Amino acid sequence: MSRQIQEAYIVAATRTPVAKRNGLFRSVRPDDMLAHVLSAVVAKVPGLDAQEIGDVIVGCAMPEAEQGMNVARIGLLLAGLPDSVPGITINRFCSSGLQAVADAAARIRLGEADVMIAAGTESMSAMPQIMGNKVSLNPAIFAKQENVGIAFGMGLTAEKVAQQWKVSREDQDSFALHSNQRACAAIAAGLFRNEISPYTVRAHVPGEGGAVRVIERVVDTDEGPRADASLEALGKLKPVFAARGSVTAGNSSQMSDGAGAVLLMSEAAVKRYGATPIARFVSYAVAGVPPQVMGIGPVEAIPRALKAGGVALGEVGWIELNEAFAAQSLAVMRQLSLDPARVNPLGGAIALGHPLGATGAIRTATLMNAMQRDANLRYGMISMCIGTGMGAAGVFERL
Amino acid sequence: MSNFIIRKVAVLGAGVMGAQIAAHCANADVPVLLFDLPAKDGKPNAIVDKALAGLKKLDPAPFAAKDRAGFIDAANYGSDLEKLRECDLIIEAIAEKMEWKLDLYAKVAPFIRLDAIFASNTSGLSINALAEGMPAALRGRFCGIHFFNPPRYMSLVELIPTRDTEATMLDQLESWLTTRLGKSIVRAKDTPNFVANRVGVFSILAVMHHTARLGLGFDEVDGLTGPLIGRPKSATYRTADVVGLDTLAHVVGTMQATLPDDPWHAHFKVPDWLQELIAKGALGQKTRAGIYRKDGRQIQVLDLKTGDYRPSAGDVIPAVETMLKTKDPVERFSLLAASELLEAQFLWSIFRDVFHYCAVHLGDIADNARDIDLAMRWGFGWAQGPFETWQAADWSEIAKAIQLDIDHGRAMAKVPLPAWVFERKGVHEAGGSYSATTKALKPRPALPVYKRQLYPEQVLGEASADRGETLWENGNVSDGGVRLWTRPDQDARIGILSFKSKQHAIGDEVLDGLLEAVARAERDLDGVVLWHPAPFAVGANLHQVAAACQAGQFDMLERTVAKFQRASMTLKHAQVPVVTAIQGMALGGGCEFAMHSAHRVLALESYVGLVEAGVGLIPAGGGSKEFALQAHYAAQKAAGGDVFPYIQNSFQTIAMATVAKSALEAVQLGFAKPSDDVVFHPQELLYVGIRRARALAESGYRPPFVQRAVTVAGRNGIATCELLLVNMAEGGFISPYDYKVAKAAATALCGGEVETNSRVPEQWILDVERALFVDLLKQEKTQQRIAHTLETGKPLRN
Repeated sequence: MSRQIQEAYIVAATRTPVAKRNGLFRSVRPDDMLAHVLSAVVAKVPGLDAQEIGDVIVGCAMPEAEQGMNVARIGLLLAGLPDSVPGITINRFCSSGLQAVADAAARIRLGEADVMIAAGTESMSAMPQIMGNKVSLNPAIFAKQENVGIAFGMGLTAEKVAQQWKVSREDQDSFALHSNQRACAAIAAGLFRNEISPYTVRAHVPGEGGAVRVIERVVDTDEGPRADASLEALGKLKPVFAARGSVTAGNSSQMSDGAGAVLLMSEAAVKRYGATPIARFVSYAVAGVPPQVMGIGPVEAIPRALKAGGVALGEVGWIELNEAFAAQSLAVMRQLSLDPARVNPLGGAIALGHPLGATGAIRTATLMNAMQRDANLRYGMISMCIGTGMGAAGVFERL
Repeated sequence: MSNFIIRKVAVLGAGVMGAQIAAHCANADVPVLLFDLPAKDGKPNAIVDKALAGLKKLDPAPFAAKDRAGFIDAANYGSDLEKLRECDLIIEAIAEKMEWKLDLYAKVAPFIRLDAIFASNTSGLSINALAEGMPAALRGRFCGIHFFNPPRYMSLVELIPTRDTEATMLDQLESWLTTRLGKSIVRAKDTPNFVANRVGVFSILAVMHHTARLGLGFDEVDGLTGPLIGRPKSATYRTADVVGLDTLAHVVGTMQATLPDDPWHAHFKVPDWLQELIAKGALGQKTRAGIYRKDGRQIQVLDLKTGDYRPSAGDVIPAVETMLKTKDPVERFSLLAASELLEAQFLWSIFRDVFHYCAVHLGDIADNARDIDLAMRWGFGWAQGPFETWQAADWSEIAKAIQLDIDHGRAMAKVPLPAWVFERKGVHEAGGSYSATTKALKPRPALPVYKRQLYPEQVLGEASADRGETLWENGNVSDGGVRLWTRPDQDARIGILSFKSKQHAIGDEVLDGLLEAVARAERDLDGVVLWHPAPFAVGANLHQVAAACQAGQFDMLERTVAKFQRASMTLKHAQVPVVTAIQGMALGGGCEFAMHSAHRVLALESYVGLVEAGVGLIPAGGGSKEFALQAHYAAQKAAGGDVFPYIQNSFQTIAMATVAKSALEAVQLGFAKPSDDVVFHPQELLYVGIRRARALAESGYRPPFVQRAVTVAGRNGIATCELLLVNMAEGGFISPYDYKVAKAAATALCGGEVETNSRVPEQWILDVERALFVDLLKQEKTQQRIAHTLETGKPLRN
């Protein structure tokens, strides 16, 4: 199936810090966040002629309102890229950012482009409702029992996974605690510093004497992780999605704002612009599962991606498995016998946050940073479950 | 007299009372500064901020709408005293320590404007002694203002003048408290604990005394001293737990310290067991244990025989219950007094001693007997005050029996009944209530504000109120019906339409009566006020509905629903304005009538909701249609014109049977409009209603058009509502039948299974409502819900 004519390399990746929904980035627009990471990633390869960027592919799960109108094109223009550079916004919900990386890599591997940018941006603060600004469901969904799962809230699907794969509340809470502990430790050790492009928030507020006051604040650290997380506090939280359930606000991913960008090049471009490749894009796969247990999606996607890349699971030293919910993360890890030590070594979305369509690009930056840090790491993987029942996984090889 | 305006209030002291008084001022659209000490570290206003945060968690809610919290500004004595100059009324509500209060007065006095009012919410300290702490120039503007807890809900405020208080200022303050805050005022003398607490606390001491004397259990006594004798459900001991045993002991201590000459002085101490509870830190509700405690789900009561808690029972023996349920008060009291049963003796004793106490102290503590009776109703929630209870039970016979018990040493004090008791047949008469100071009858206060209360709360024995002139009526109390009448002294051409049914439920006769009354009003009157005492209406007459369901008369039911809808539409489209005057519950059909009126005047304490889902039904008297119409109008103003966002909230309101817990919440939920009137004193409701109807008539009222093209959310809207339902049902939050009922509600709100953004006439939505309603009535589970609610008064989740 794979007929590539050249390799695609990741030569740079960066991200904003991830802020809580209605937190530090509540007044920050998603197109501004996007512009910020696009400028930042291009700046990492000073020799690059921006005219040569073949396309900017941006993942966004709710591409409407502040992040509508093809946010990719708006973002790249705001970033000051030449207007000859095109842009496209794509959506596969939570894997949109990773899909953007895969699509960008595919264009290079097919020889259609030598320089591509993949990115993701999402402001969940900008969305008055999590399902988008205008929710309107098709009556046909309710006409047949097999389609009703389309209407299931994500938390409810996590409850279904917890039931079916028997993930206890205690295990979920303990997983959530570890996520927070790992993230806090990573922040304390400065392990995210290289991948983050600090964002200066400029909030315009009413000031004295009728003047508008601009409050500047440089945000350089993820807002989500809680150093005070404890099993006791987590245990007190009430289930939100089912009367007798186990999924709580504490063992679910956080709603967040953030953006990430990845610069990819062919070997020829790497040489032409004097870039240093960090990793080779190995493979990518997506797969469908029943919508009511969407969280199990990676169980189908991960083996497909590994097979396509000819990589054995045991060879993968670092796995960024998006923690949509502790319940589905644990079910996936158990089903595939993933080594907990290799999964989210710096914490995951329960602590670090999950700005939907941006997460894939953001975690690519984290994986690239880890590969730059650790010479012993060879293969790394990014995977996530996807609303309405899918999974995605992408494999990378350190160079 | 020039206008009396309170632009801003300051409350000094952010404790339980101060913070809640501030909240109630905010309810009444009066900005408030809430002061307390500056915090030792952190933010200077931390103490007040914490109190304000606490207010939002209190139950029952001090705020009538959540956003009111934003109209209270935190302040502290350290840096904000200058702001006191902005305030027209300053209420001091700090701890009950004379030195602390005097210190504070000295500190704040320089910042109080000479035309401002300064009042203390003390419940026990001498107002005259406090006045000494004010500079002479401010003393004329100083008085006591004693609120009861919780101040939003307890009607009573005692106003206590000092020797120097200006009479005009007191009148103005009384009027303001009545109309603006909706409080009921009793003027008290400057005697310890004033009126209500003086009698109320004595009553608790008397209950404790006789409980011990007769060896009764606390739960048993609460069974006897609750609703069976017209007192709140929390009765005596549970009330003590709620108040706080330490607080109770403090108030009793005040009586002990300040009333050495009171003939009952020997009884002014709390029992040893209560002291022991306090010593152990078992202070009642606030420490989760007191006289009662909760063990899991079980309520336990302290048993003095074992010194330990046991499960609370509180059953009243049938013989005593029968006596208490005897309708004739004369017979009831003679049965109690003659009975050998301990429980009956107990009841006779507690009544006797309170009667005795009130008769002896009437002259010292109150202007007249009406003030004591009303203070006990408004401050302690008694259905009847002590004097009216006595008078109803044959004044002279009871007087003789009391004196006999005094003579035989059975009463708690030896002091004889005052001579006036034997010279009279009672204390309340058409001409007024007895004053022991002037030895004459005192009529009701003549302040102009009371002219706004067309039907003030009366004590037994007062002259009967003006019933007005009946224009037309049908039916009677048992089968309902309505009365159309006027108060010619107010406005001879504004009709008053009152339901005669029990709880003002809406049955066939009410519907017939309403249709006829509106037709008559269109012919003969300028406007109508739909008014009767609370509750406004508890909804449709479910007895009639259940009976018709059982008989399988669904065609008849369909016609009744159609008539219901016609009644709503008649209210809305009558050629003269119909104003609904709402107080208490306005549920189901009552809410729908209100929604269809030209205008609403709502008492602050109005509980409004479309609660049909609870009995497995949907609003079908036009309630769903009104919400669909509201969405249509709102969407017309919004970019894009999408109606669904405006349906979403009303769908949740109806599906969850959400009840607004105040007039302000009723506006927020869409049952009333921002342009409606909120009336703080329920007794002023009719007065305002009549004037609002007159104003509408005078300003050329025309009913709205019946809309021909309402944009509805249709099929996509219904499906989007189902999104919520699927998740709630799958999550186990609602039953499959809840789902079915809620989907029917969604279907009505969205105008039926038509394409989204279809334009339909109003009548189409009414037809959708009605068809869905009748279909639900045919379902066994709806019928079970109705039967269960009729039996238990509670909803069934099946």
